[in-house]
Amino acid sequence: MPVRTPHFPDLLFGSAARLRRWEGALMGLLADHGYRELHPSLVLRETPPEGALRFFDGDELVALRWDFTVALAGLLARSFPTPPDRVAYAGAVFRRPVQPWEAVERFEVGCERIQLEGEPAAEADVELARMLMAIPGLLGLKSAILHLGNAALVRRPLEAEGLFGELADAVVAALSRRAPHRVREVLDGHPSASRLAAHAEALLSELDGPGTLGALESSPYAGLLEEETSHMDRALQALLPILPPNLELRVDLADVAGLGFYTGPTLRLWAPGAQQELAAGGRYDRLFPGLGRPWQAAGFCVRLSRLLDLAATRPDLFEEPR
Amino acid sequence: MTHSTLLIAFPKGRLGDELVPLLANTPLALDAAALKSRVLRIPTATPGVAALLLKGADLPRYVAAGVASLGIVGSDTLDEMDMDLLELADLGFGACRLSLCAKAGVTLEDLRAKPHLRLATKFPKATEAWLAREDLTAELVPLSSSAELAPLLGLADAIVDLVQTGGTLKAHGLVETAILGRSSARLVAARGAYLSEPGRIRPLADMLLGALRAKA
Repeated sequence: MPVRTPHFPDLLFGSAARLRRWEGALMGLLADHGYRELHPSLVLRETPPEGALRFFDGDELVALRWDFTVALAGLLARSFPTPPDRVAYAGAVFRRPVQPWEAVERFEVGCERIQLEGEPAAEADVELARMLMAIPGLLGLKSAILHLGNAALVRRPLEAEGLFGELADAVVAALSRRAPHRVREVLDGHPSASRLAAHAEALLSELDGPGTLGALESSPYAGLLEEETSHMDRALQALLPILPPNLELRVDLADVAGLGFYTGPTLRLWAPGAQQELAAGGRYDRLFPGLGRPWQAAGFCVRLSRLLDLAATRPDLFEEPR
Repeated sequence: MTHSTLLIAFPKGRLGDELVPLLANTPLALDAAALKSRVLRIPTATPGVAALLLKGADLPRYVAAGVASLGIVGSDTLDEMDMDLLELADLGFGACRLSLCAKAGVTLEDLRAKPHLRLATKFPKATEAWLAREDLTAELVPLSSSAELAPLLGLADAIVDLVQTGGTLKAHGLVETAILGRSSARLVAARGAYLSEPGRIRPLADMLLGALRAKA
């Protein structure tokens, strides 16, 4: 029987020190912005989902914390009648890897901005983006790219066309591959095929600066998405004047990663040449209502394990530590 | 090799045989002397861009891991492997069918009626999906090459394989009984490279598309 060694990284001196330093710097940044730390238990109380690391403790099946946002949501919904507005977290999550090279134990730092339903969300979204913009400099990255997206740009047209289930998943998978020809293949014969194919072409036409939003004008759903387009435009107007040196801001209209979770604006941080995003987040307004709480939330997570890998494999992307 | 060298993964075999002439006299033409050697990393006519010659089944891994920024691979391979890749364009060439093939005289209904159907294939994922759509069950016999022999020698009742001209099938006395899907060459990109360095990767993708369209 083949033996596959799971990837539980041991951190030797340099990486361990870097992890401690980065975690401290990031939690300091979050604390400066009013985010207070919560530490959900490493052992899950909820029914363990697929992908979690599960084992028996005596007769009881338990799982290790696999996602901070989900673990925090459970903790917040159980413990608070009204939500704390700003929450931070740091630690490890354990998740079965999808790809063989992915780590099982992953170190993360992140934050969540929680409001009551109906409160204006735009300022909270910009607050998160501003904090994320400060992070590359804090970690010593020589340059970075922040992608702004919006899950509603895909979600709303699919819902408007009554597309759900497997067909909607296939469209999203095609968009995730950035393959407009696959969108056409998937929708072949469907009444919405020409409209959604044209929308996919518009979403995938550009991956560049603020002018990218103009690509949406050619979409059949331009009217439906006016609010989202306007929200993204206002966010860009707020963020571009305060862009730190060596950080690029790009609009990625076709960002569909996590579409089942995100409901609005999304944020992804990249370093040039990195193979994986280094931080990701966005708005997920359906999470707390699903737990019986009328709250809306957004947040982001910095993937420290990926940053540690990047520092080991591409030290040229980082400033020398002072 | 430096980080400034961009690598494109080109397929060996059937797709590669069609691709190399298409690239001749373009900025991405492969160095003729290197092609004749056994070297698998080959300079192109554009400085700073090199080609890797890889087997189709290995190629997506090189691109997904970001070793090669771009690649060309059949959509049949992509669908089987389901790697995390961007698929920027359907290049049109290398078109073929993924077909269920059996000995001449055996019909699809004959195969449906078998209580224990055995299908030999190197495309188990596509075959399983087709079986599910058709509400059929079958024993899959995994093979990596020369599937045409399987029905002739009794290893399987039929095969699921790529058919381009049908010449190989005919030579073995086989016929297509159903078409499961279609395949063609696709331009793929490493997600990380494409999203984090579009200024480097998109012009290269455009150059490749331009070279191939000019020959179309």
